[in-house]
Amino acid sequence: MSENKQPLTTLSDRCADIGPFVPAPDDDMIVCRCEEVTKGEIRKAVHAGLWTIAEIRRYLRCGMGLCQGQTCSKLVKGIVARELGVSPALLEPATSRAPMRPTEMQVIATESEVNF
Amino acid sequence: MKTTADVIVVGAGIIGNAIAYYTAKKGHSVIVLEKSAIVGNGGSSRNGGGVRQSGRDARELPLAMYGIENLWPGLSDELGYDVEYVKKGNLRLGKTPAHLKILEGLAKVGQSCGLDMRMIDGKEVQAINPYMSDEVVGASWCPTDGHANPLKATLAFYMKARELGVQFYTETSVTGLKKKAGKLKIVETDKGVFEGDTIILACGLGARPIASQVGIDIPMSSVLIEALVTEQEPDMFPQMLGTAEADFYGHQTAHGSFVFGGSSGLEAVNSDNGTPVTHSITAPCICRGIIKYMPRLANAKIVRTWAGWMDHMVDGVPVIDRIDEVPGLILACGFSGHGFGIAPAVGMTVSELIEGPDTTVDIFGLTYDRFKAKA
Amino acid sequence: MKRVDLIVIGAGPAGLSAAIEASSRGLSTVVFDENARPGGQLFKQIHKFFGSKEHKAKIRGFRIGQTLLDEAGKAGVDVVLNATVMGIYMEKEVVVRIGEAIEHIKADAIIVATGASENMVTFKGWTLPGVIGAGAAQTMMNLHGVKPGNRILMLGTGNVGLVVSFQLLQAGCDVVALADAAPSVGGYGVHASKVARTGVPFYLSHTIVEAEGDDHVTGVTIAEVDSHFNFIPGTEKHFDVDTICVAVGLSPMSQLLKMAGCKMEDNPKRGGQVPIIDAHGATSVPGIFAAGDVAGIEEASSAMIEGRQAGLYAAEYLGYIKDADFSEGEDELDAALSGLRQGMFAPGNKGKRIEKTDEGIPVSDSLLHHGFVADDEIERFPGVTHRPGVHPVIECTQNIPCNPCQDACPKKCIEVGDKITTLPHINEDNPCVNCGMCVASCPGQAIFLIDEDCGDGTAEITLPYEFLPVPEKGAVGKALSRKGEPICDATVVNLRTAKAFDQTTLLTMKVPKAYAMKARFFKAE
Repeated sequence: MSENKQPLTTLSDRCADIGPFVPAPDDDMIVCRCEEVTKGEIRKAVHAGLWTIAEIRRYLRCGMGLCQGQTCSKLVKGIVARELGVSPALLEPATSRAPMRPTEMQVIATESEVNF
Repeated sequence: MKTTADVIVVGAGIIGNAIAYYTAKKGHSVIVLEKSAIVGNGGSSRNGGGVRQSGRDARELPLAMYGIENLWPGLSDELGYDVEYVKKGNLRLGKTPAHLKILEGLAKVGQSCGLDMRMIDGKEVQAINPYMSDEVVGASWCPTDGHANPLKATLAFYMKARELGVQFYTETSVTGLKKKAGKLKIVETDKGVFEGDTIILACGLGARPIASQVGIDIPMSSVLIEALVTEQEPDMFPQMLGTAEADFYGHQTAHGSFVFGGSSGLEAVNSDNGTPVTHSITAPCICRGIIKYMPRLANAKIVRTWAGWMDHMVDGVPVIDRIDEVPGLILACGFSGHGFGIAPAVGMTVSELIEGPDTTVDIFGLTYDRFKAKA
Repeated sequence: MKRVDLIVIGAGPAGLSAAIEASSRGLSTVVFDENARPGGQLFKQIHKFFGSKEHKAKIRGFRIGQTLLDEAGKAGVDVVLNATVMGIYMEKEVVVRIGEAIEHIKADAIIVATGASENMVTFKGWTLPGVIGAGAAQTMMNLHGVKPGNRILMLGTGNVGLVVSFQLLQAGCDVVALADAAPSVGGYGVHASKVARTGVPFYLSHTIVEAEGDDHVTGVTIAEVDSHFNFIPGTEKHFDVDTICVAVGLSPMSQLLKMAGCKMEDNPKRGGQVPIIDAHGATSVPGIFAAGDVAGIEEASSAMIEGRQAGLYAAEYLGYIKDADFSEGEDELDAALSGLRQGMFAPGNKGKRIEKTDEGIPVSDSLLHHGFVADDEIERFPGVTHRPGVHPVIECTQNIPCNPCQDACPKKCIEVGDKITTLPHINEDNPCVNCGMCVASCPGQAIFLIDEDCGDGTAEITLPYEFLPVPEKGAVGKALSRKGEPICDATVVNLRTAKAFDQTTLLTMKVPKAYAMKARFFKAE
């Protein structure tokens, strides 16, 4: 974000100026380990207009792997917020989806009445 | 904040984004208004990614065929973002004589419209896709069908449209439509008033209450659909899959995961809590269906399930039309769960409708005035 | 479909406490936990807990876990292990994986006590094998008996970073340094001091530049950061290590609550995405409660009280409790919780810089910046006094909720008072009988028994010792300062163990008189 810009208070205007993408030395650093998404890819996606965690996930798959974002969601949120120049609290985290742990189709398909 | 444009599109799903892209490409200024904070958060992110012609109603088949012939193959290059389009055919599977009868009916519709689609037996199914269960006795086969990534395709249209100068406002709910001297011009929202020469409603179910403000009723209802995705699996097969009874549909993505949609049969009466929630009995039902057809996937792990409301038109095909009685209004809604595959063609067609009634693709069967009482 | 009064998700300190409370009030209760054994993180906690008697203070965490399990058994709680809750659906329906199938079960109330997961930071090389979470290191050491590494750098000086560093030292690892990007130590000073006095340096305002190595960590470079967290060139420090432990906070695992439709908020003070709850732990969905770290990161001690509260409120919600009993239970638990939530580290003080103690004493800068109280700072604290003969010296310099020392002393030498965050002070009128109970009872290992002048030019210092092997009586070595530097020769003159000491050995070393107030650790030659 350029120095004299007002920080964004809403993400509604998707064409608001957030300045150009400026390459950084750590752009090749992996942020999402499960899907091997780098910091640079996330930053570029923000500049292409993806301003929500949901869009970033859907486009880059970060947080969509086996750990379901348990490791990287806070990191991704921080990177996106910094790039937009907003507080991370403004970014809605990804929706929570069942199953909470990856589960075999065979298991999900088997509805038992056994007891515990 | 820019509030006037040649065209105002309501809805930033794949339909709205495709319309915005093709319209901007023609040189018109465009504003897109989206109720959700997220671009593509309706049906665009809740579908199986099928780019199919087979199994479609004859009225929307021309859009599907045109898109597959002319738009999908070059789409990734044109937009500059990979939409993961794969054109390796669609198998619609059957296990019983009753299934085969359904499939034969669908094949006839396709053939009558000039589509390369035919019935094949279980042996030929195995030859095309060796992962299918022996119980599959036949299928309809359309070799020019395929699939793409709906999440990426939706965002690709959005990002490219944005590059072309389309103005997008998210978290912006339309509260009213108003005419100005006989022509629809004004869109009132919770974020302010917008004005355009053409107003396009491409917002699924949301189009009905908005259109009613100018005396237009669109006969559609909401149906909750569910989808699920597995972890990454080894490359298995490239075809789009479906079944005669539509108990599931889906494909393996470029990433290696399988994406499937499906239903429990109770969708029409399922309750919700104001958000599209998954139901505890649906994913198990979809999984049982998948395993019956593809036993090899029994141990694939499901990582997510999700649900969405579909804008189901009473006769199962959308309205894509200039509304003569409300000059300036164009409808592109009610895609009834199969809008993704025709989205590029719809976007192109609507961009033509803005300029006049003549379109490259025949959409005569999709007019607004088609709804009549039974004879 | 099977229906119970209450489903508790998570059998950690909060979940078990909730189930015990609810079950004892008559609710049919089932607890699901995805792990093979119950207790959550409690069984990894080998240190003594802070707090007061009602918070099970001075008891080691794993013993508290065992007690909770026993209580749960007595209360008739059904704890189902290896049971992974996959989702909370409409109408309080829980789908749980048990074995190779899923089951549907409904409840009239649900308490979510799923705890938290570790945060990560990124730096060059952070994905190399050898970079692990501090909690993971603790699991390896304390549950599986595996050393996480030999030479270790710890990133993070919150209580987790400090406690795990100490445990790594106990496991025989070489902790080369603690680093933290923050300008001051985040956790309890007493936890920092017991690490510092063994000779581990603290680097505040420092973070990791790079983890080095091709297929495994072989080294790490840290550097100082400015107030904007940018590296200051020329301040790099390199360490040869095989392991980097990361202890940079926890995030609530609140996804189930979000899926259940509970209103959520992003609250950095509570660790991230948490449900919006009232004072009863009730979420926006009637009948769904949250307790423990999932509702905001705190300590296990407070999680146990929050759990009991949620159990009590669930009992009230379902009409299982008389008004009077409810009020009584509520008051008791409120008091216990507010007892813990005070002092310098109270949730409300998070992020605040505190200059003075409640008593008006300037805090130790050295403690915040280097992990130990400097020699010229220690005398100003009320636990540090001088008199002839053996007497306690309490190097407790921050207002934390803890008072076992007061109860430990049979002669009432040590006083904290009713407010448990008050700094302990010495009652000069009462004699010290050198029983050692205070030394062993202090969860912060901050109490020493000192005879400053034995009459022969020496002093004797009794300190808590929790390392193996325990030196033998007569062993000679060096006395280390609070900073962990060898300052003089020392001889072990006495070793005491007792059941009441709970495996803390009291080591008495003889040092030259001049070092009575400086020597705080013993290292064998």
